[in-house]
Order: sequence, then C-alpha cells, then structure tokens
Amino acid sequence: MLRFIVGRVVGLAPVLCAAIVATFIATRLLPGDPVAVMLSDHSADVQMAARLRAEYGLDKPLPEQFVRYIGDILTGDFGLSFRYVHMPVWQVLKDSLLISPLLALAALALALPVGALAGVQAAAHRNRFQDTAIIVVLVAGLSLPNFAIATFLVYLISVKLNLLPVAGWGTFRQAILPVVILAIPSAAYIARLTRTFMLEVMQQDFVRTARAKGLTNRLVIYRHAFRNTLVPLITSAGIIFGGLLSNTVVVETIFNIPGLGRLAIDSIFARDYPVAMAVVMLFVVFFALINLIVDTLYALVDPRVRDGAPA
Amino acid sequence: MTAIDVSVAPPPSRPRFWRVFLRQRSAVIGGAIVLIVAIVALLSPWLAPHPYDATDLVNVWAPPDSVNWLGTDKLGRDILSRLIVGARTSLVVALSVLAITFLFGVTLGMVAGYFGGRVEAAIMRTADVTLAFPEVVFAILIAAMLGPGVSTIIIALALVWWPGVARLARSLVIVQKEELYVDAAILAGASPWHILRVHLLPNIVAPLIVRASVGVGFIIMAEATLSFLGLGVQEPTPSWGGMIRDGLPALRTDPMLACAGSAVLGVTIIGFNLLGDGLRDALDPRLHRS
Repeated sequence: MLRFIVGRVVGLAPVLCAAIVATFIATRLLPGDPVAVMLSDHSADVQMAARLRAEYGLDKPLPEQFVRYIGDILTGDFGLSFRYVHMPVWQVLKDSLLISPLLALAALALALPVGALAGVQAAAHRNRFQDTAIIVVLVAGLSLPNFAIATFLVYLISVKLNLLPVAGWGTFRQAILPVVILAIPSAAYIARLTRTFMLEVMQQDFVRTARAKGLTNRLVIYRHAFRNTLVPLITSAGIIFGGLLSNTVVVETIFNIPGLGRLAIDSIFARDYPVAMAVVMLFVVFFALINLIVDTLYALVDPRVRDGAPA
Repeated sequence: MTAIDVSVAPPPSRPRFWRVFLRQRSAVIGGAIVLIVAIVALLSPWLAPHPYDATDLVNVWAPPDSVNWLGTDKLGRDILSRLIVGARTSLVVALSVLAITFLFGVTLGMVAGYFGGRVEAAIMRTADVTLAFPEVVFAILIAAMLGPGVSTIIIALALVWWPGVARLARSLVIVQKEELYVDAAILAGASPWHILRVHLLPNIVAPLIVRASVGVGFIIMAEATLSFLGLGVQEPTPSWGGMIRDGLPALRTDPMLACAGSAVLGVTIIGFNLLGDGLRDALDPRLHRS
C-alpha cells in the first residue's frame, strides 16, 4: 500500500514540474517590464528602478532567476507581488486561501445527499413521471453554465423576492446562494451517476432475492440496492470536489467573493503575475492532492488497482 | 478514469441513420435549435437590426421598445444585435477549438495506438500531465502568458480537450489494427502513414464524430465561462459570456441584458447536447448513455 502511495506521489512530479516551468515563463519572459508598471509615474527615477529590480531579483541573469525561483517555491516562498509593491505574495493570498476550499466543501456537503437522493428516486421510478422530471432537471443542471443559472436565481430570489443578498461575503445569508449555485452541476452529476449505478445494481440477483423475501420496496432500494452504490459514489467524490474547486472561480466572480479564484483573475488584469501564478500553483497542488486521495481510496477498496493489474 | 467502450459498429446505412435519428424527439428539437443558431450566426451581419458596436450614450440601459427590441446595454448598444453577432463569436470559437483539438488529438492518438512502445508512452504521459490541469486554471495560466483574448481561450480549450480525443483515437486504433485489412495493407507494401490515413481513419470516424458532436456544447459552455471571467473574447466584440458579465451588476435595475444572454446561451448549449446525444444513438447504438 505504501509503495502504491509513494509511486503516485512520484507520478505527480512531472505535473508539478510542468506547472513550475510554465509559471516561470509566464512571470519572467513576458513582454513588458514589471518594474516600469510598478513605478508608473516615477518611471524616470533610475535609482528607484534599480532598487526595485534588485529587491525583486530581476537584475540577475535568467538562468539564475530560474534556480532561485525553484528554490523559493520549494520553500513555499512565491516572491513579491507586483501590484502591492514590497508585499510578499503569501501575504496577498493568506486571506483568500481558505475561502475557495470552504465554498467547495460546503457545496459538496449539499450536492452529495441531494444528488444521491434524486438519483435513487429516478432509478426507483424508472421511465415514469418522477424519472423523466428528474432527468429534465439533470440535463438543465449539467448543460447550463453556473453563471446563467445564477442570473435567474439571483434575479428571482434576491431582486424580485428580496430574500437573500445579491452579493458579498462574510455572513451566512450571503453564503447561501453561492453554495447552492456551486452545488447544482455537481448535484446533477451525482444524481446521474447514482441513477446509473442503481439501475445496474437493481438487475442483480441479491435484489431479486430481497424482493422475493417480501421486503418492502423502500427497504430493498435503500438497504440493499443503494448501499452497493455507495463505494463508486464515494470514490468519485474526489473528482467532483476537483470540479467544484475550479468552479469556485466563477462563483466568486458572480458574487464578489474575495477567494483565490477571483484573486487570480484580478491579478491578471492588474498584471500582478507572481500572485496569479501562485494561485495557479496552489490550484495544481490542490488538484494533485485530491487525485492522490482518490487513487488511494480506489486502491484501498480495490486490490487489483493496488497490485498494478489493469483496473 | 472510466473505461471507453471501444467496440465499433459498422457505420449504419443512411436510411437507418435518419430513421433512428428522427425517432428521437429530443434529438430533433436539439437539431432544430442548432440549425437556427447556425443560420443566425451565418447571416448575423444581415440579421442584426443595428450595428453591434454602435454606442448611444444618451440611450443607455434603455428598456425594450420598438427600436431596440431587447433594450440597450451600458453603452447604449442594441442588445438584440449583440446577441445575434454573439452567436457567430460562439460558433467560430467552438469550431476552431474543435478543429485544432481533433487535428492534434486524432493524429497523436492514432500514432500512439498504431506504433505503441516509446512513442505511445511519450504521447500518453503528456496527455496525463495535461489532464491534471483543470480548464479554468489552464486558461488563467495562458491568459497570464498571452493576455486575455480569443486566441487565449482557443489555445487553452484546445490544450484541455486534446488528451481525451487522443485517448479515444488510440483505443479505437488499437482495436482496428488487429483486423485483417491492416495486415493486407502491410503485405501490399503500404507505408504506416498511408495505412493510418487511408485505411484506419475511415474506420474510426463514426465514434470520433459522435465525440465531436457531444463536445461542441461543452466547448461553447467553456468559452462562455472564460469570456464571463473576462479572460476570453474582449470588447467590443460581443460574446454571450461577456454580455452576462456586463449585465450581472445591473441585474437589479436592468435585468434584460443578463437574462437574455443567459437564456440564449442556455438554450444553445442544451440544443447542442440534445443533438449530440441523438447523433450518438443514431450513429453508434453500442455507445450507449452511461
């Protein structure tokens, strides 16, 4: 088991290397001089420019900058922000760091039970009205982009009915709409997965046996059939969480939430590349960790994966 | 990763294709939506009642009337005209991404599947590394390098989508290359390149078309998302995602822009998805809904 995990961690190395090289290229080889941007009005001040260049390490030759960059990243130091002069990147990040994972976790906690219940209901009433209705909602939930759904929900709930705040962050009421909107595509995805698994399981002999014993429909579905869909469902929770995490960028933009994703977008427009790149690195690390956890879960559940046989 | 069902049915005859396709009500609805969007996109310069970039600063955020059927935006531009021209933007980006993705994905996947060994390992490892980046993060990375813009989203989306296509093409070729006709072609002295292009490609084209038709809806959605974030299509070129971005802050006072943009975008994506599912069932009955 340990060998499996170590193997997976080693397998992440090329991903992280690709991210590091790409972020270095993005931050250092771009046209335009970041020092000139920082100085703006004082661009004639040669002394100040030289001092900033030294402070940011931009006066060294590129290969040396690259080595220093890798060393800094390995020690968790992302350098200084271009937009907030003299301020270390991590200080710009630290207030936003937990918001995106928190949003994604809250949405996952909402999407899992709702999606699973909808999927079970659809499977239990296959091809009848409930099934069709749930499928129509699923198609909409999966096809419509978050921000299109958000437009209508915000208009209806916040503007017309005045029930919840339109945007912002900090209070529980402000968090409701973002979490719900973030959860919708995932809930639809989970529901579709659950429906598929359920339809498969309900063909199995033990379900027929349970019915033959005279158990009620509810007991057959929840105690016998649904339990057997839990394992594939839990192992796909990691992939779902990854999708949620990247969707936080959109939700944070819609609702003006000061999370990592919005910070990255704002930083690009402000040409604050060190901050944008630090966020990209963090996202890549988050995703790599999630994949690692999912793979480990798979391996725990299914020995064939662990022993390297084709899954 | 889910296993891909690689059993390939022979391409259905034409009458059977239409019979299966037309029997699905949702596919016909999807097809109609796609047809309308395509015609609007194609004829947009003539259909748009006003120039899409004509500003009118005394007439900003105008409510719908007989001149501006859907009202105007923050610069007094006609919303309906911008929606119509936005259809063209969406389709042009989606088709560009699709073309690039398939050119690289199919070529690399077929080469990997046919030659195997180190070539295959190199291509598929690269694909795995690429897949580790989520598309929004990819777009942020590329936007930081190239600056926001249409080329940024096309490159970002093509980079995100080619590994999936390459995997599909590879698995299809691995199955097909065991067939007798490939041995026959090798014996006849055909070069590997010739075999890939003339013998293998026609035999894997049906599942690839299915994949493409299912993908268009997702690409349109991804383009709209990136334009919504401001990383994609830039002003004054209209895009549905960008229009919703402009409209959201004004939702309380002038909901028309955001709502009309969201509705058009949503209906278009659903249309493409319904059409894609219909094509999948009609072209390849064995690649069933998962």
